[in-house]
Amino acid sequence: MFKNYLKVAYRSLVRHKGFSFLNIVGLALGLTACLLIGLFVFDELQYDKSVPEGNQVYRVYTEYTKNEALEAFAVVPPMFATTLKQEFPEVEQTTRILMNSSISLLEVGEKKIYLENGLIADSTFFDVFPLPFKYGSAKEALAGTRSIVLAEDAAKTLFGGQDPVGRELKVSKTTFIVKGVLRNSLSKFHLKINYVLPLAAAEIPAERMKSWGWQQFYTYVKLKPGTDAQQTQAKLQDYIVQKVRNLDKKDPITFVPFLQRLTDIHLHSASFKYDLAVRGNITYVKALSLIAAFVLLIACFNFVNLATAKSMQRAKEVGIRKTIGASQQQLMLQFLIETVLLTFVSVLVAAVLTSLVLPTLNEFTGKDMSFNLLAQPVILLLLVILTVVVGLMAGFYPALVLSGFQPIKVLKRSVASDGMFGRVQWLRHGLIVVQFSLSIFLIVSAIVVFLQVDYLHNKDLGFNREQIMFFPMRGENMKKSYESFKSELLQTPGVASASIGYGFPGDAVAGDQIQVPTKGEQKLYSVTHLMVDYDYLQTLGLQLLVGRNFSKELTTDKDHAFIINQTAAQELGFGTPEQALGQTLVWNVTADSVKKGQVIGVVKDFHYKSLYDRVEPAVLHINPADYWKVAVKLKGENLGSAISGVKEVWRKFSPDYPIEYKFLDDNFTQMYQAEDKLKSLLWVFTAVAVFVGCLGLFGLATYAAERRKKEIGIRKVLGANTSTIVALLSKEFLKLVLVAALIAFPVAWVVMRKWLEDFAYRINFPLWVFLAAGLAAVAVAFLTISYQAIKAATTNPIQNLRAE
Amino acid sequence: MIKIENLEKVYRTEEVETKALNKVSLTVNEGEFVAIMGPSGCGKSTLLNIIGLLDEPDGGSLKFAGTEIAHYTERKRADLRKRNLGFVFQSFNLIDELTVVENVELPLIYLGVSAAERKEKVDKVLEKMQIMHRRNHFPQQLSGGQQQRVAVARAVINSPRLILADEPTGNLDSSNGNEVMELLTELNEAGTTIIMVTHSEHDARYAHRVIRLLDGEVVMENVHKQFTA
Ligand SMILES: Nc1ncnc2c1ncn2[C@@H]1O[C@H](COP(=O)(O)OP(=O)(O)O)[C@@H](O)[C@H]1O
Ligand SMILES: [Mg+2]
Repeated sequence: MFKNYLKVAYRSLVRHKGFSFLNIVGLALGLTACLLIGLFVFDELQYDKSVPEGNQVYRVYTEYTKNEALEAFAVVPPMFATTLKQEFPEVEQTTRILMNSSISLLEVGEKKIYLENGLIADSTFFDVFPLPFKYGSAKEALAGTRSIVLAEDAAKTLFGGQDPVGRELKVSKTTFIVKGVLRNSLSKFHLKINYVLPLAAAEIPAERMKSWGWQQFYTYVKLKPGTDAQQTQAKLQDYIVQKVRNLDKKDPITFVPFLQRLTDIHLHSASFKYDLAVRGNITYVKALSLIAAFVLLIACFNFVNLATAKSMQRAKEVGIRKTIGASQQQLMLQFLIETVLLTFVSVLVAAVLTSLVLPTLNEFTGKDMSFNLLAQPVILLLLVILTVVVGLMAGFYPALVLSGFQPIKVLKRSVASDGMFGRVQWLRHGLIVVQFSLSIFLIVSAIVVFLQVDYLHNKDLGFNREQIMFFPMRGENMKKSYESFKSELLQTPGVASASIGYGFPGDAVAGDQIQVPTKGEQKLYSVTHLMVDYDYLQTLGLQLLVGRNFSKELTTDKDHAFIINQTAAQELGFGTPEQALGQTLVWNVTADSVKKGQVIGVVKDFHYKSLYDRVEPAVLHINPADYWKVAVKLKGENLGSAISGVKEVWRKFSPDYPIEYKFLDDNFTQMYQAEDKLKSLLWVFTAVAVFVGCLGLFGLATYAAERRKKEIGIRKVLGANTSTIVALLSKEFLKLVLVAALIAFPVAWVVMRKWLEDFAYRINFPLWVFLAAGLAAVAVAFLTISYQAIKAATTNPIQNLRAE
Repeated sequence: MIKIENLEKVYRTEEVETKALNKVSLTVNEGEFVAIMGPSGCGKSTLLNIIGLLDEPDGGSLKFAGTEIAHYTERKRADLRKRNLGFVFQSFNLIDELTVVENVELPLIYLGVSAAERKEKVDKVLEKMQIMHRRNHFPQQLSGGQQQRVAVARAVINSPRLILADEPTGNLDSSNGNEVMELLTELNEAGTTIIMVTHSEHDARYAHRVIRLLDGEVVMENVHKQFTA
């Protein structure tokens, strides 16, 4: 019996090649999308799951209420770890990582490479994170001030394949001794590591390490087994309120500390500031899972749709089988086997497609996911389950309908009439509406994301970001003689202007408080400090609204002058830019030195951070002590020779360090990588969804044209022309697409507005998008239908009539 | 074997109500060959379908071998059909996706007969129907007469007690038609009861008895041959 079912299933697949093809392609595409998303989501969920005893590890972060919005900081003051270790008995161990975004030069003999992702961590780092070592061991690996642990890849680059333990290595010209090499198993660890240095090497003054305000450390605690982290968190919050909050009466602590589970770091820190972790976004993971479910649902709907449409042609067979004595259960089983077989073929195709597309996806996501049926039996099992579940899901309804046919009714006609399909017809139309709703929703989303991303990249940022070479100064000599370095840069042909400072757009900026002494009262404000020089405004093309730029001629400008941005003028309580001029500002440079001066100018707001963030009050001042980064504005012509000119000057001042530069606008391009990716993903998904939806529509149109053959023939004999008939056949489907649009529009509107709200700077929701999406859907639908409609309308009517 | 009393069937569509059968009563004995004749639309097929349990009557009684079966459940109908009944239709009604052999063995599959036994039976019946050489062909590759022979083979494969034939020669030329009629006669002579709907007086002559229907009622019965049970 089973063999017979398979045989009939196979033959009917082959006989109705077109239908089978549509079915398999549609389902395979849907399944491929699901598999790829599934792999991605699974991968995202794996972060830090394999850290030994990782369930006891938590990260400490803080939250502030700022302008009525909550802000979470991934970095906390150093005292957290100290206190937790000393005064919380349930704490087994703590470890801190110093926030430092620098890229350092590593040297072994003549070999020099710049590496990022160098951690500066407490020697307890490997107690909290027992990562596997390839050479050496975790014990004492970060002891003293001159130890270094390398990641496997970094070790390979620097030392070749040999065991480098005990060898010497220079990091930023300081010599360290290699104590160990980590095994290459960190791909699902939330920290990217090239090397680890002991915190002791940073030689931070002991006094500084006692700060409750210096938010510079990623801090982890490992709790003793069985500890209730909720309780520890509450205790910690209480501790801050009781013992820390008012240590400094003038400057009370306002943050609230929280413990974050290690396995939550990767996906649940998307909004954290200053985070070092490799971050995903739980929202995207959820959205993608939803999309995967949608796509699979569309594919299944499609399948149901095509299958019920096709059932007309199977009606006779059902009638015969029933006449011979087949029961409804036997027939249902037969049709379910057919669907499962078809699904099986689709799953095979999907598996092949998935392994073909996966390398591209890996490149796109920077992951190293694998999809190997033989090596991963789980996947094989998953595919089998998928086959059965999808097969049954998609096959159940058509099987029910088909097996329910009354034999005499269907045997009387060679093809069953539509009358007996009242409900089926309704269902099929419902399915098309759902499919097109989803497609239209995706089209609207894709356009909105496209427009916002375009906006992100092209919005006028208030400064000129083109052709600005950007690099950090390296080596003592260069920093010491930055003035002559700069003046030589300015003499280089092709260089228009240059600025040295700390706090360039798209790069790290410093945040600190500033005092506004008004009428005896001292008010404190949190502002961004941009440590600049005399040419900052000119190099970036900032627009001065009122007042003047810093001037070398006025010696007081160096120590007693501030330029602020428009937002600062307002938020510091001065009012208009004009009113801000001449106001006094005070900055506590260190505990015992202050910088006091007047506002000499106000610049128009410019976006020194990403467009996710509102422009904050910013204060610009001359502060050579912090000079670090260099921005060199090049003239338009002959960039190549200008760049080599800059390199030459570099070599004169810092021969030991190779130059590594980028262009300032790259900073901004990189900021929106996630959005760029979302954009591409959405296009792909939209294309797949629309395509699969069209397959369904195509199947339905084929069926409708078939069913109405005779009617069309008669109409033509009576004088109807081709276009009337095409219109006749298209009308009913286009109506469905319009209904779909009415459903999709409000949903898309709500969802995309929500998405846009995350951006401080965003496009206005463009209403024409709806029109465009609607028209696109109608056009695509019409093209799909019209092929069948035109074919039906142009065949010789006598043929159709004779066939009846 | 079949005893029908006051059988009624009414078709209702939105506007009209058609009385397809109006108090039809008749008896068919075991081993008999009965032809049903009458103008198009008089209710012949309706009657045959009800006897074949493909349709339900709206009134009256239908007994098969003494058992009332007019209102059997779907499951029992299917069971009775596969064990006791064989069908031959005007339009052959073979499954296009199956070969000759596969079409013919289908009733046995539903009866749960083993593969070996199926093969034996199918070979025998195909031999008898002289269609053995076409056993692996698909229906479209056969002539009308050949297709109907396959249909007859399929109808008799489960050795039914009753064969119902609805205009079995309607789509065939006279020589193919005669062949099919000869086959039916042979089956009848071997003991199978046959009820056949036909338009052709010539075909009706193969039967023992002709029942004439008009507008859903039995109007006349002629006896062609003596039938002795
Ligand atoms: N499914 C149906 N719905 C409505 N009327 C039907 C249906 N089947 C048959 N009829 C009507 O019942 C009558 C008898 O039909 P039928 O038994 O097929 O006639 P015959 O086989 O003698 O030509 C006809 O008038 C026909 O139109
Ligand atoms: Mg008839």
